[in-house]
Amino acid sequence: MNEELFISGRDIPHIDPNLEIWHWPIALYLFLGGLAAGILFFAALYTIRGQEKELPTAVKWATFIVPFALIIGLIALIIDLKHPLYAWQLYMTIRIESPMSWGAWTLLAVTPLSMIWAASYIRELWPKFDWRFEILRKFEAWVQKNRLPLAWIMIVLAVILGIYTGILLSAFNARPLWNTSILGPLFLVSGLSTGAATIMWMSKNEQEQALFRRIDLLLIVIELFFIIHLFMGFLAGSQVKIEAAKLFLGGEFTAPFWIFVVIIGLVFPAILEILEMRGRKIPVSIPAICILIGGLIFRIIMVEAGQITRFLY
Amino acid sequence: MNKNAQPKPYINPYLGGVLLGLLLLATFYVTGRGLGASGAIKSSVAATMAEIAPETAREAPYIGQFIPEDKKESPLNTWLVFQVLGVILGAFLSGSLANRITLKVEHSPKITSRTRIIAALAGGFLFGVGSQLARGCTSGAALSGSAALATSGFITMLCIFGSAYMVAWFFRKLWI
Repeated sequence: MNEELFISGRDIPHIDPNLEIWHWPIALYLFLGGLAAGILFFAALYTIRGQEKELPTAVKWATFIVPFALIIGLIALIIDLKHPLYAWQLYMTIRIESPMSWGAWTLLAVTPLSMIWAASYIRELWPKFDWRFEILRKFEAWVQKNRLPLAWIMIVLAVILGIYTGILLSAFNARPLWNTSILGPLFLVSGLSTGAATIMWMSKNEQEQALFRRIDLLLIVIELFFIIHLFMGFLAGSQVKIEAAKLFLGGEFTAPFWIFVVIIGLVFPAILEILEMRGRKIPVSIPAICILIGGLIFRIIMVEAGQITRFLY
Repeated sequence: MNKNAQPKPYINPYLGGVLLGLLLLATFYVTGRGLGASGAIKSSVAATMAEIAPETAREAPYIGQFIPEDKKESPLNTWLVFQVLGVILGAFLSGSLANRITLKVEHSPKITSRTRIIAALAGGFLFGVGSQLARGCTSGAALSGSAALATSGFITMLCIFGSAYMVAWFFRKLWI
């Protein structure tokens, strides 16, 4: 055994003065979780509103990405674990006060639901595809009949998943940068925005693209508002919060955050989308790629920077 | 078709040149240094080398200079890299405003896209080597250098355009 004994609460490797335990797998998972939540949210929303025919990418085709995103994200989470074989223990308990417990159970429900949702559209994409077994055909028919209740379940789970990716960080009360309640809504909006960008990119239908361009623009504005609000909250807070904000206002994360997240990930695609709405021809992939890159870098920076911030001096 | 969706004509090259000069002046005023393009490529090379073979890269007399002592710091963390990112964004924006954004290879009708890409790669390779020998490229050494009245800047400028003039005849088929 390789046990260590700490006689003081300070200077603990990987925990104090800086947390050094979460790296890229967490950021990748938070990104893919947010993306999945965004796509599922819009699929469910437009199913509930009965617009499957007008918005086929949002309701049907984009959801094919979700199971893959969630599986890759979950693999990243497992890679991060010190003891991957103990992951099942998360499912031996329900702790209402723990975001990790909420997330684990939500994922347990939303991953199979996303697979069922996408699978029920496979035969529409490939008419020659056959489920081979009678029971699977019956199950498909049942899913197709009950889309509306499933969409209601999915929309609730998508919102929980999207918020949870932020709450997971904000529940760390010892890390001032994370310990703010705006992180949940901020990560939800960012996830919805990456989802909308993916739908916009995949869509071949001009009306659908135009709708998601408007949705995306609105989400970018909300996200910018939340980011400003985040820093205003920090700067009006205690000294540790002010120092957390200073990492982004002159500190080491200033250039990556403002350039990659705010300019390349939000402002630049917003300008391109406004130009496109005013009649200019812009390949839809450019704003979409910028938003996706910005979303991923936002999570990498939040995960890295949050671990540096601390309460004790 | 929307009237806004037609590609707009290019700006007058003389006006473009004057604007570029004013941009350089503004750059000196804002950042205290000139423009550069090859520096960002060099930093990318240094960063790639530092990642793949850290010891060799650090010991290399030339590329080693561009790798920070602190191992946590990336060779990409220089103003030139961010400037080139800005150039890419600005180019996209300018192209979108003029409705000119498409994926295409521009070349003479007498050659194929493949020839054009191979020639461009070969020319770019030579220019990369040359810019490192000259300690800068057209923007870093020639433009910014001569703007600061550096002799090397004028020599670089004369050599780049002079040698282009000399060999243009041999490669004319790539263009006309």
